[in-house]
Amino acid sequence: MITQMKVRGLTFDPYSNTFVVILRDEHNVDMLPIWVGKSEASAISFALEGVAAPRPMTHDLMKAVLDAAGAKVISVVVTDLKDNTYYARVHLMSEDSEYSIDARPSDAIALALRADAPIFAKEDVIRQQATEELGQWLENLKPEDFGKSES
Amino acid sequence: MAADDDIDTGELVRLTVHGVLPDQNTDTYIVILRDAQHADVLPIWVGAAEGGAIKMALDGTVAARPMSHDLIRSFTEHLNIKVSQAVITDVKNNTYFAKVHLVTESGEHQVDSRPSDAIALALRTNCPIFVTQEVLRQRGGTNLDAWLERFGTKNLGK
Repeated sequence: MITQMKVRGLTFDPYSNTFVVILRDEHNVDMLPIWVGKSEASAISFALEGVAAPRPMTHDLMKAVLDAAGAKVISVVVTDLKDNTYYARVHLMSEDSEYSIDARPSDAIALALRADAPIFAKEDVIRQQATEELGQWLENLKPEDFGKSES
Repeated sequence: MAADDDIDTGELVRLTVHGVLPDQNTDTYIVILRDAQHADVLPIWVGAAEGGAIKMALDGTVAARPMSHDLIRSFTEHLNIKVSQAVITDVKNNTYFAKVHLVTESGEHQVDSRPSDAIALALRTNCPIFVTQEVLRQRGGTNLDAWLERFGTKNLGK
């Protein structure tokens, strides 16, 4: 089973010194925090805020390459969580063929936001994540911690 | 590299990536591009992530998870897109612009790119990198030898 997720926000985790993308389902029941690098956080932030960079960013190029080939992003799915590493797949449609391609969730999300493609997470992943202590940490976050994209 | 023969390089100069240096003063990298005769040098400042992506390709390091440019290459492989060349086309106010040339089943395409992304992708797809004569001319005012001396080319690749 998979659940559709929305990017709820982006925050900074001072403990690990990295950014965290917060995915939530539409009922705000399930939550999936995904740790991402600075440049991927920036790529996601640009898309969330609808800001066009003066020059194409990496994921803009990624989308342009797909556009050139007439390929469409159908969906991206966070498929797995192993040893604190999340795995994702990008589903593409080109002509009549479908492709499922291994990606980091950060790249998959940055691309999905640019392609207006839905983001899903496998329920196993959400369940697995929920057993960790992350929820507690996130509960302690203040609302103003969200939405910051600059370091 | 057999496809190189098909490319009209009349106004273009082919470059290779000579190395990537971290810029100690800022959180950036400097990519050193040189032509075959080592007559022209083109240093380009790139972000930390892109510099890292270029360095990994140069060093032949394979990441445990596909990095952003690995994912683009993966798309091109699955969709049968050939990345035919990366061209640095313009420089304005010290900002460089590039185009990535693609060949798909529907024909040839050019997409806008930052040079950093174009180079990171080119190194992963064994595609040649070019610069226009005009961009090199605009770089001409800088004394590049002195510049390279200052950075110490012996540190390249570390």
